[in-house]
Amino acid sequence: MINDKDSQKIVDYIQNFSRKHSLFVMAYGTGCGAIEIPATMTSRYDAERFGIRGAATPRQADVLLITGYLATKTLKRVIRVYEQMQEPKYVIGFGSCTINGGMYYDSYNTINALEQYIPVDVYINGCMPRPESVISGFIKLQELIQQGKADNGKRYRENLEWYRANQKKIIKNWKMPDYNW
Amino acid sequence: MIREKETTLYLGPQHPGITGNMMIKLKVQGDTVVSATTHVGYLHRAFEKLIERRNWLNAFTLLCRFCVPEPDPMELTYARAVEELDNREVPERAKYIRVIVMELARLQSFLLWYAGQAGSGGLYTMGQWSVGDRNYVLDLFEDLTGGRIYHMYIWPGGVRRDLPDGWTDKVLKTMDYLENRQKDYNQLMFDNTVFQKRAKGVGIIPKDKAVEWGVVGPPLRGTGIKSDVRIDEPYEIYDKLDFVVPTFEGGDIWARAMVRQEEFRQSISIIRQAIEKMPKGEYYNKVPNPMKWIVPEGQAWAKTESVRGEIGFYVASNGTNKPYRVHAKGAAYTHGVTVLEKVLPGQNIADVSFIMNSLGVCPPEIER
Amino acid sequence: MTDLIKEQKLLENVTNPFKIKGRVIRNRRVEVFCDKETVSSVLLYAKTQLGYIHLAHMTCIDWIDENKFELIYTIWSPVEKVHLFVKTKIDRENPVMENIDKIWDQANTYEREMREMFGIEFPGLIGEHDFALEDWDEMPPMRKDFDTHQYAEQTYYNRPGREDAKDVRETLVERSGTEVPDFAKKYSRER
Repeated sequence: MINDKDSQKIVDYIQNFSRKHSLFVMAYGTGCGAIEIPATMTSRYDAERFGIRGAATPRQADVLLITGYLATKTLKRVIRVYEQMQEPKYVIGFGSCTINGGMYYDSYNTINALEQYIPVDVYINGCMPRPESVISGFIKLQELIQQGKADNGKRYRENLEWYRANQKKIIKNWKMPDYNW
Repeated sequence: MIREKETTLYLGPQHPGITGNMMIKLKVQGDTVVSATTHVGYLHRAFEKLIERRNWLNAFTLLCRFCVPEPDPMELTYARAVEELDNREVPERAKYIRVIVMELARLQSFLLWYAGQAGSGGLYTMGQWSVGDRNYVLDLFEDLTGGRIYHMYIWPGGVRRDLPDGWTDKVLKTMDYLENRQKDYNQLMFDNTVFQKRAKGVGIIPKDKAVEWGVVGPPLRGTGIKSDVRIDEPYEIYDKLDFVVPTFEGGDIWARAMVRQEEFRQSISIIRQAIEKMPKGEYYNKVPNPMKWIVPEGQAWAKTESVRGEIGFYVASNGTNKPYRVHAKGAAYTHGVTVLEKVLPGQNIADVSFIMNSLGVCPPEIER
Repeated sequence: MTDLIKEQKLLENVTNPFKIKGRVIRNRRVEVFCDKETVSSVLLYAKTQLGYIHLAHMTCIDWIDENKFELIYTIWSPVEKVHLFVKTKIDRENPVMENIDKIWDQANTYEREMREMFGIEFPGLIGEHDFALEDWDEMPPMRKDFDTHQYAEQTYYNRPGREDAKDVRETLVERSGTEVPDFAKKYSRER
């Protein structure tokens, strides 16, 4: 690529600038937080002002929004979706239950801390988080992208063994293809 | 004619057209569905188990999350079951407030349904309008309870707070606005040929089988059977109000849409009547210290009408400060599994999500 | 409640042919108790002869002290507008119950859920063994002796909470090294 250090900086800046203004959000309502997504996307809050819009398939998406609690059955699908996504990819944990289990801390079927299984860039707390806080979470993510700090896809690849061990602890019947990025 | 090979198609759990986190395994021949098997459980949070570990009032934080698009009927149904066990009277004013809250919840849920039904048919503008308008209803809830989606407002013995000053005026103003918007919705959706062509004759539920299949709510009224918990077993003050339960013959998506369109108007009228007739007075028949509140031994079944149909709670107490067993049965429990499996064969793949929306399939209600 | 004529008549109609006990709870609520062999015939009789065609819900209660499962079938007549509860108790050890999905198709869903959550077997039940759970190899989770909190603590990572019992704002300020914003000061606990 470009050898000159300063030129590389400019290229990075432009790259990050473009990335942060076109965040395609994976349309996967994994939990009850999905109810505030239509409100965020439509006329009053209009998240498309910030370049945030939906994408139907994992391969075209940049952001995986985990809207709330994850049942173990869904976790398996979420991991598959996450692994199919192309880098750069970002994860937003939406709602208190992704942080510490929230009100489902004692449930036998929901995970308590999302970042043990997939790397998380931004958490949005609250149950439900209001559309304003969803947008503010996205803006936080945009800041991280601009600073070049949102490189969790790489972190996931490098620490794959640790993540796999955690995932396999919960998902007993592991029958999934291995992706070679 | 060449007979086409039968293939298996997995719809969901990650699919933009599906109404929530669930999966349908479709056997298809060309474009036609031969058989459908539903797979649920992606949202199982073990509510009923967790409620056994909470006390009677703490259960409300979990209850309203049973079905996200419309949390208030869950609270009311459980509250009514607990009131029956505890022989707790509800003040007259609280009954009126409850009805207003319930009907507002119906309105916001209808507006979300408009978006889903039209969106799955390709009319994306409808979603922009109706979900935008839904925010006005949610603003009312925010004024009343502090929360947009989850309210925990209805408690055994009444409601948690009295109405804020000037709230009823705001409600009436919003009702006027929504009534005027009906014209726009009709032009965009119900009078639209695209919608009519897709909706008529699709996803038919036969009239003679509907009750037996466990169909409730608007889909049942869409087959021409007049059935509504609000008139069959009037609760709160519904027997004092003047409203029509609309029915429509046909049993297809169009009939269900017409039923919902009319119910939207009826809800607005119910809210206006309730505000007009609402007496002054107490709003809450205080329960004892919630941490120590003991509900007498017994079992109770309460049901109410939500947007998707009847919602029932079976509550059993063994005379301690915790519920012994709470079982919730929402309309989607039958709509989303057996009814869907019966309706889908013979339909096009493209209509699957259209049918799901019109039946009001809400996966969190199925597996809880 | 003065007139419970409809309910009394229903009670007689159900209890007399089967020689079972029952009572009128209140208006629109009638319950009958029977043993597990008669349940399906009572339900079929109520459906075909009395017009109770709507299966409103089915549930199971785990009475661990009695060592019994109580099964409750709630049926509803759109004409009479009365609920009939058919209740039965079965043994908690090796529970087997008659499959009624020939009478109502949607009973299949309830029974699959009960099979998974309580471990009740329904001979001849069609449908995959997994309903809501996936690859579950513990005790059926809705049984009273299954401790969900303990299981969750053992299985999932539990994030340690804040150890100081301070105001959240103060902890945040300490962590990030910033000031409490003015608008937040007036809600401070110290005030």
